[in-house]
Amino acid sequence: MRSITRAAFRPYICPSCRHGIGAGRRQLRTQAAQSAEIYDVVCVGGGPAGLGLLAALRASPITSKLKVALVESQDLGKARGWNLDSSQFSNRVSSLTPSSVDFLQKIGAWEHLDTDRVQNYQEMQVWDGETGSRISFDRSSETPAFEDLQTVASMTENANLVRGLLRRIEASGDENLTLFSNHTVASIENGSDLQAEGPDLSAWPILSVKPTGPNAETLAPTRIAARLLVGADGINSPVRSFADIPTQGWDYNRHGIVATLALADLDPATLSNTRTAYQRFLPSLGGPIALLPLPNNHATLVWSTRPEHAAYLKSLPTPAFIAMVNAAFSLSMTDLSYMMGISQSSSDQTSHEDELNWRLQHTPQPSHIPPKAIGVQEGTVASFPLRFRHAAQYISPRIALVGDAAHVIHPLAGQGLNLGLADVAALSRTIEYAVSHGMDIGDLLTLERYSSERYLPNAKIGGACDLLHKMYSVTGQGPITWARSLGLEVIDRLPFVKSFLMKNAEGY
Amino acid sequence: MASIRPRSLPFRALRAPTALRPTCRLHITPRSTVQQKSQFTRNHSTSSVSADEVSHFSKLASEWWDPMGHSRVLHLMNPLRHEFIAQCLAEGPPPADALSPGSKPANLHYLDIGCGGGIFAESLARTIPLDPAADAPTPTRAASMTAIDPTTALITIAKNHARMDPTVDSHLRSGKFRYLNTTLEDVLASEVESPSESSVTHPQYDVVSLFEVIEHIDFKTTTPEAFLANCLRGVKPGGWLVGSTIARTLPSFILNQVIAEAPWPIGVVPRGTHEWNKFVNPSELHAWSQEALIRAADTAVTRAGAAALEGSQWKCVGTIYVPGLGWKIVPGSEDWGNYFWAIKRGV
Repeated sequence: MRSITRAAFRPYICPSCRHGIGAGRRQLRTQAAQSAEIYDVVCVGGGPAGLGLLAALRASPITSKLKVALVESQDLGKARGWNLDSSQFSNRVSSLTPSSVDFLQKIGAWEHLDTDRVQNYQEMQVWDGETGSRISFDRSSETPAFEDLQTVASMTENANLVRGLLRRIEASGDENLTLFSNHTVASIENGSDLQAEGPDLSAWPILSVKPTGPNAETLAPTRIAARLLVGADGINSPVRSFADIPTQGWDYNRHGIVATLALADLDPATLSNTRTAYQRFLPSLGGPIALLPLPNNHATLVWSTRPEHAAYLKSLPTPAFIAMVNAAFSLSMTDLSYMMGISQSSSDQTSHEDELNWRLQHTPQPSHIPPKAIGVQEGTVASFPLRFRHAAQYISPRIALVGDAAHVIHPLAGQGLNLGLADVAALSRTIEYAVSHGMDIGDLLTLERYSSERYLPNAKIGGACDLLHKMYSVTGQGPITWARSLGLEVIDRLPFVKSFLMKNAEGY
Repeated sequence: MASIRPRSLPFRALRAPTALRPTCRLHITPRSTVQQKSQFTRNHSTSSVSADEVSHFSKLASEWWDPMGHSRVLHLMNPLRHEFIAQCLAEGPPPADALSPGSKPANLHYLDIGCGGGIFAESLARTIPLDPAADAPTPTRAASMTAIDPTTALITIAKNHARMDPTVDSHLRSGKFRYLNTTLEDVLASEVESPSESSVTHPQYDVVSLFEVIEHIDFKTTTPEAFLANCLRGVKPGGWLVGSTIARTLPSFILNQVIAEAPWPIGVVPRGTHEWNKFVNPSELHAWSQEALIRAADTAVTRAGAAALEGSQWKCVGTIYVPGLGWKIVPGSEDWGNYFWAIKRGV
């Protein structure tokens, strides 16, 4: 909040002191600039957010003439050539809300995605493992009878999305476009005033971009100046550090386990075009388990749990892992906690399955549990730490943060990537407005349009996910358990409240 | 709502036009009033420039480009100026368009009178394409911009700021964008090197802009009609004179004088910020513009008649500042406070 705070105190600071505040920190790094090539937008980070911004800028007739560059340390060529057999799925899958899909369609990227690998789902079943109280989401109230249900969200592999965006950018031609693939940002510093020879770039960020790889040391870095430097460079954003923007947040002390699963054949009674996403909160294990549909009767697993449980699950042999996943959707908390502790050193390899089968006979099954997992795609079981971060501000002169650089949230609602794409949509609209009104796209007055559009919605969604996580981490039958279950049941019976929540979750 | 600013702004971020009143009591230390005064008291004896105003703006100069400073609301209004000019050009396209329908080249020449720190001038210069043959990137279709202001300190600020953008800097170097520390009268007294087929020897422009200027003119030394006639002399036949100002009406009085200047926490500007008498109503401006159009058509030997009004156009639309949302063009709100106006000169 540096600039805002400064503004608030301005009336109480004598004018001659005012100019020194804030300016100094960035001035210190000023060096004589060798000639740097000037770009309108330089985006650091070639993930879905960064590539989405580039694709959006290239797609709009107003901004397509801007000179843009993207710096990515990974090999974009490899991402562009990504190819996987139709029975295999990457374990990094995101649930794209309809508004994200709208955005991708609007910028012409959706048609470059392999839509055979995208799975829409029309129903969502969410229930509490402790009390069994349940809520189901679908669009049946808005869908006319005899028509297929509308999509709640579309499961898309990140690699498919990234490849689609790269294809879209490629289709826009290479005029005014530079992709620094396999390059890292070696340094960011302020430019200098070229006095008589050229413009005054003393407030412009100048990047030194260096190729990665074995002979990187021998190559001279490229220097580029950015009218607007966009940080799409993830949770440890170097752009954010350069702009001196602090972040607030905490680690959840949870890990998310992901895996690609093969499911048992669907029950013939439910054979229709409708696919369902399932999420069960497991308070005593620290977080929810979710099973999200993929094409060809596959599904992707996201299981948020304590690090020790995550380590245990990852260490299990495949049959035991499958048994644990099925158990997590069907057994009681007590049974599940017991199974999480079965010693692996026991010579009996089938113990998890035996335990599951025996316990299932004694557990009444609700109607909404997902089809059984029968297989795990090799090499897809992985885990990542869950964190919450929110940058104190998204903008600084000539700098904007998008996606994970600005906010990292709990994945329980599958909103992270959608918020990033919404940031990018808003930032590209802001740049469009600025270009058509003669504004400098790096100016704070321009960028504050972006930040005022995105800051509160992101804080709201991130805060809601955080609240859900905390409510569903409470074990036992205390007042919070009672209240959350009552709340869920009440919302499930109030269609207006439910559709309001869905609208929020879908990004509209 | 015109003069209520969002609470998040610093107390001194005044509503833009009002911040520029000469009686405005800002917390600015007059560090070098004396020297500055000597800089700008070049004797524009025949000029419409008010000496008080010039000294006032010199003091404001240091914060002109601060996005959180006292010019903030003026910065926020700037995009609407582009939209208003685009509307004017859509309703009354320049005569050259009739010759080549369909094409929208960047061929319009602009003069910004009272450019101040260059908020409008620089933003318009940014839309001038580097390649003159290219299609205009925006509906304002600028080919060149000449910005004038009598305050030396402001022209310096404006030039320094313009150098911070390489695009604008290159236009400054190529002469497509010029800042002149001069007055309108001096511009009109200068001669064009290559006189066109018409008998006009002074420079003329497709669009002349007078944003938040008319209420700062010293009407002790000139009359509004004479000043507007001078402005219109700088407009090519078929071109537009555009501007913005504040109305002097009851709603405007309630908003600007009563609410905006009320004691904290209701008020948003210091008492005495507004100089009520200098505000101009749309109806007055319309009447002056008729007279000015006729005077502008006068030549040294002949007096123009009502025929000078033929083909002319008057356009006026209100704008409202909504805290948290910014400026909005609201047709019909001309008499409530701030408004844009435009006069198209007949062909």
